[in-house]
Amino acid sequence: MADGQRIERPGEIEETVDSRLDDRLDDEALATIAEAEHEAPHPDEFGLRVAAPVGEMAIRAQNLGIRYNLNFTKKTKLRTTFATLLDPRRRNKGHFWALRGVDFTVNRGEAVGIIGPNGSGKSTMLLALAGIVQPSEGVVEVNGHVSTLLSLQAGFDSELSGRENIALAGALMGIDHKVMQEITPGIIKFANIGAFIDAPMKTYSSGMRARVGFSIATAVDPDILLLDEVLQTGDNKFKQKSRRRIAEVLQTAKAVVMVTHDMSWITAFCTRAILLDKGRIVAEGDPEEIADMHEQDAERRKKQKRKAKQLIKHGKVDVVDLRKARKTGTLGELLEGNEDAAAELEQVSQDRKKAKAAAATDASGAQEPPRSGS
Amino acid sequence: MGVVNEAPAAFRSSTDRLGAIDLIRTAITDVWSRRRLIGYMVRADVKKRGVDTVLGNVWWVLDPLITMLIYVLVMTVIFQRSTPDFPLFLLSAMVPFKWFTQTIGSSTGAITGKEGLIKQILFPKIILPVTLTLSQIVSFLFGFGVLLFVWFFAYHDHVTWMVVWVPLIAVVQYVFVLGITFIVSAVTVFYRDVGIVIGHFMRLLFWVSPILWSFMEVAGRGRRLQQGLEGIERSFGLPEGVLFAILSYNPVSLLLESYRKVIYGELGTVDVVDETGEVVEKLAWFPATMPDFGILAVIFATGIVITIIGTIVFKRLEPAFAKIL
Repeated sequence: MADGQRIERPGEIEETVDSRLDDRLDDEALATIAEAEHEAPHPDEFGLRVAAPVGEMAIRAQNLGIRYNLNFTKKTKLRTTFATLLDPRRRNKGHFWALRGVDFTVNRGEAVGIIGPNGSGKSTMLLALAGIVQPSEGVVEVNGHVSTLLSLQAGFDSELSGRENIALAGALMGIDHKVMQEITPGIIKFANIGAFIDAPMKTYSSGMRARVGFSIATAVDPDILLLDEVLQTGDNKFKQKSRRRIAEVLQTAKAVVMVTHDMSWITAFCTRAILLDKGRIVAEGDPEEIADMHEQDAERRKKQKRKAKQLIKHGKVDVVDLRKARKTGTLGELLEGNEDAAAELEQVSQDRKKAKAAAATDASGAQEPPRSGS
Repeated sequence: MGVVNEAPAAFRSSTDRLGAIDLIRTAITDVWSRRRLIGYMVRADVKKRGVDTVLGNVWWVLDPLITMLIYVLVMTVIFQRSTPDFPLFLLSAMVPFKWFTQTIGSSTGAITGKEGLIKQILFPKIILPVTLTLSQIVSFLFGFGVLLFVWFFAYHDHVTWMVVWVPLIAVVQYVFVLGITFIVSAVTVFYRDVGIVIGHFMRLLFWVSPILWSFMEVAGRGRRLQQGLEGIERSFGLPEGVLFAILSYNPVSLLLESYRKVIYGELGTVDVVDETGEVVEKLAWFPATMPDFGILAVIFATGIVITIIGTIVFKRLEPAFAKIL
């Protein structure tokens, strides 16, 4: 039951564990790492690799749409359901399409990068490709065994040791026991967390968890590898090492789909990139071009945000009436398609409203009503 | 691919939803094809329980003993109950009841507690409640071991071969509980309140089930329970005898009485002449007899129906788990 409930600890302790490990790594000499890197179990060494026929369809999405029902979330209570039943005005908070009308194919031998701003549906897309989330419309076809590296730490059981979690992950992915026994030493060696491998995972730092997760996902020889923000965690040494590992997997894997904010990954490893925005494919093609396009987009968004902020700051727009302002006028144009900025400004507006209300209640008791900015 | 892999090599997910029969068929193949995973998860679960306590697995033996002692103390010392061989009487119903409540109680977390896994790897979610019910069997076996020990060494008079029917009753109970755990684990994903409701329901069930008392005993002593219930029925305008029927014919009661019948024996009254020469009724136990197979068959059939319904409900709700968690 402790699964997924990572024990919250002060960052301090985590740091110590990590630095302790790093110290040891230094002590044990970098040669070990170099050796491990050199001997990093190349997929071929597992003797499982069957050459992928290039060009065959690996993933196909047709008119894919994923809809989230906002009436049911993690926080739904019986009370709210009864309330919506009784009060028709509250009925149907509606739906949210995280993805809509997405069409694309990934052939074997391809590495496709998915990029886009926050909330554009990238992660949902991977969930759909992994079969974890089922489409609300359209079809996803996947031809081959999938290995997901969606959120490295989440799937582990904190009470079990790293070794046991490796076995469990193997069983979850349906990999034969014998095969798992063969590849486990390689996984442990690559993760390189020393004696911690036999300690319960609750004692691990997030970096150590990530190492184990990464090692499993890339060692199990998938037909299709799905990666989501792979290298957010881990120290630089491990990042370097895993970068090399991904490169190897990419060379031999049959198909890879990765989601990342790090454009260097897209340009270095992908054969094709897809730019998503608001759940739709905006552009598709050469990784360099798409990455450029995305970066320009991001730059434009930033500028708009800054401009909108300035407008508010100089009193050209009344933030309190942000909702109205968004519908008309300059601010509305600026915030068009920039949900991040809009949400942020909404927050500013809310805060100011609260401040005003607080000031009003204060004023009733005070001799001198505080009037800010007058 | 030369690798033996239990996960499907290709899949197609779309808006098509399977019919009831296909849902049940896929559920069965899911569980069967991933039996090794279930084995792993049961072992991990069993290992995990108790690792954070000093005494660890010793608690599995201590727990039923301590619970028994508390109730024995309360019932015999404070309430002056005269049930013969009360500790065995209590334990023979309490151990299976605890299995029942713990399985259903923990099923609320079977899906919600595995959020990380569900969002990370594609696997048939139905193995989660199945794993849970299996790992609860292990705790039950420990508790039952305690029961057998007490039965054999402390209450040798009660020992008969009728105890061989316990596995049959346990199988009936397992089938009856399985479908309920499917429904509870799936519905909790949508409404977290279910866990709280279940907790209270179990507490109520403890008192209305023949654990601390027995129907034989109550009915044999001037039918006081029936009279009391009739009073309640009258004041709420319910048809006569409804509450007694609910209490005595609910499957949990019937199962518990079956266990008690084959382990402890039957409770009844005998007429005894006391010192003053008057004839008084006195509680006594009669040796164990065969369980009522007709009743067990009905509960088993009910369990199968609930399991079928539960499987359909679970498989219908399954696609939404990853989205809501």
